[in-house]
Amino acid sequence: MFPPQFLAVERVAAGAEITSKKRLLEVLAGLLASAHPQLKAELVFEHLLERERLGSTGLGHGVALPHARIKDAAEAIGAFIQLRQPVDFDAIDEQPVDLAFAMLVPEAATEVHLQLLAHLAGLFGEEGFRERLRQASDPSALLRQLQEGAGPAPGG
Amino acid sequence: MALTNELILIASLAFLVSILASLVGQRLGMPVLLVFLIIGMLLGEEGPGDIHFDDIQATHLVGSLALAIILFDGGMATSVQSFRVGLQPALGLATLGVLVTSALTGLFATQLLGLSLLEGLLLAAIVGSTDAAAVFSLLRSRGLELKERVKATLEIESGSNDPMAIFLTLVLMELILAPQDNLGATLALAFIQQMGLGAVLGILGGYAIVWLVNHLDLPPGLHPIAVLSMGLSLFGLVAILDGSGFLAIYLAGLVVGNHPLKGRRYIGRFHDGLARLAQIGMFLVLGLLVTPSELLPVALDALLFAALLSFVARPLAVWLCLLPFRFPWREQLFIGWVGLRGSVPIVLALFPLLAGMEQAHTYFNIVFFVVLVSLVGQGWTIPALARWLKLEMPPRTQVVERLEIDLPGERELELVGYELAANSPLVAERRPFPRLPPSARPVAQLRQRELLDQIEWQDLRAGDQLLLIVDPADLEALDRLLAPVETPNRLSDQAFFGEFVLNGEARLGDVAAAYGLAVSEQERDLTLDAFLRDRLETQVVVGDRLDMQHVQLVIRRTEGSRILKVGLKLKRTRPR
Repeated sequence: MFPPQFLAVERVAAGAEITSKKRLLEVLAGLLASAHPQLKAELVFEHLLERERLGSTGLGHGVALPHARIKDAAEAIGAFIQLRQPVDFDAIDEQPVDLAFAMLVPEAATEVHLQLLAHLAGLFGEEGFRERLRQASDPSALLRQLQEGAGPAPGG
Repeated sequence: MALTNELILIASLAFLVSILASLVGQRLGMPVLLVFLIIGMLLGEEGPGDIHFDDIQATHLVGSLALAIILFDGGMATSVQSFRVGLQPALGLATLGVLVTSALTGLFATQLLGLSLLEGLLLAAIVGSTDAAAVFSLLRSRGLELKERVKATLEIESGSNDPMAIFLTLVLMELILAPQDNLGATLALAFIQQMGLGAVLGILGGYAIVWLVNHLDLPPGLHPIAVLSMGLSLFGLVAILDGSGFLAIYLAGLVVGNHPLKGRRYIGRFHDGLARLAQIGMFLVLGLLVTPSELLPVALDALLFAALLSFVARPLAVWLCLLPFRFPWREQLFIGWVGLRGSVPIVLALFPLLAGMEQAHTYFNIVFFVVLVSLVGQGWTIPALARWLKLEMPPRTQVVERLEIDLPGERELELVGYELAANSPLVAERRPFPRLPPSARPVAQLRQRELLDQIEWQDLRAGDQLLLIVDPADLEALDRLLAPVETPNRLSDQAFFGEFVLNGEARLGDVAAAYGLAVSEQERDLTLDAFLRDRLETQVVVGDRLDMQHVQLVIRRTEGSRILKVGLKLKRTRPR
């Protein structure tokens, strides 16, 4: 189960037309920053980009899960984009990415951060879940799929 | 004439039955060599086959020939790249290891079986080496992918330790038959001659074979046979010069297998098939030779002997030889247990028989029983042990129907065909615009035997056949898209390597900051590559892991000894 304010329909996009990894991260940063007035999109973008420098967050199977810890975030926030055409993401399996989930967490909450990440990665590791996300055609359908996938029980 | 025809019929039926039975054995997880040995016994004088066979000389010929062929093929299939992690430990095991194992087992045997010291040592030397045929067939069987360090060490060890056991056996026999005064000098000289000649002539011979094959203008069909006869000539020549022919042919195979060679695919396939034939033939004959009822009287002694060998002597020898290489304990334990005995001890047990030694029959029966016990007890448990010790790796390439086209002088390309199934990734999950590996070019798609006008990437269906041309280097990536996924979940990439991938050159300090890990000030500026190599204290291989607080780092891709990609595995706390 996601934390209560983790996702919102305003931070989910369907059928986005994006042509590069950098642009995808920018758009995700914009969505994440929209959650809180004190968050700056540029700063979020910087943090996500910095994490990518350590190694691509592409999980394989067309999914990316960019994430960062950030001081100004009050709680964990997520954003999700479904792309119309996949973009290159330097993923380990060399497949381009068409599903991207971005996540920000406050600097203090390491344990929560990692559990949530592991949970999400596990979720996106399921073929059926990915398929359902690719089939969904609008933000509210995507949000529903994401929340259903996350399940009622906490942890993973 | 009738006899000839009968012999042909019986022999070919025996092979056919063995081949079919090996399929059944595989289903049961039974080592195939054990299957052949048992069939040989069933064909023999006390089984339904009722064939009376006790020609030791012929058995020795078949055994040596088959062994030479198996070692040649084993050498060819061993990649020099595996030397980085496997050569030094394997050489230690193949020389010192055999010596220590034999000495320890021999001493115990002397005490327990009431033999003289030399006799005990002889018996131990006969079973001193691990069996190349058994180890190769185990390690290359489907569905068991081991960590490279373990696999390379075991393969090179089993290929190169027979000469040592043969040497010890011959020397000890000489000592028993004709006691020498100047023991040390004789031993050293014989050792240098056997191993030195074997090594030097083997390597030179290997290069000679490569040169000859590439410079002779032979029809392609003759290449494999030319290579085989050159290899066996080398074996015979070295053995006649009192060198180790087995060492020579293994090394020659190694050289041949690791150099560009005309018609290499034919050669590879031919030798692969031939090595299997040799295995079947040898084990059938060995099974035929033994008289099963004679095994019973020695059963208790042999069991004790086998227990000493596999529970005490071998593990101790392995531990000792691997000390300088700092293998993780799991791997030491595994290598200690994979002391598979096979044909070599049985063939070696023929030596005392040929020499007409007094106790020769008892030795033979004990050795035969030890081999049986080893094949059953160790052979059968190894896959389970590998799983238990967590030494299994995600499989790299699947066995797929593959046509290989050999373009002479051009870059290597293969024409591969996939029969798509519902669990092929691109069928199971229709992805917009899948990206093929850079060298892959689709050729054709067949649906219900009809050629489609074009490749329908958006509509790949189970049952479709897809043909592509691809560089062999990209096959692994292509398999990941098209071959059916049959990997158990515990070996999926995410379960094995963790959720995320980090670059080897990423700074440890940055990784620590991203995941809230505590690292020391000195280690902050190290790259992951340097840090992991420093911490793991051994030649790193894919699959090595290091625990760090709430994450685990798993080596995912290497180039030589450099670490390119590291998996980051998040430890999950179980929900309460």
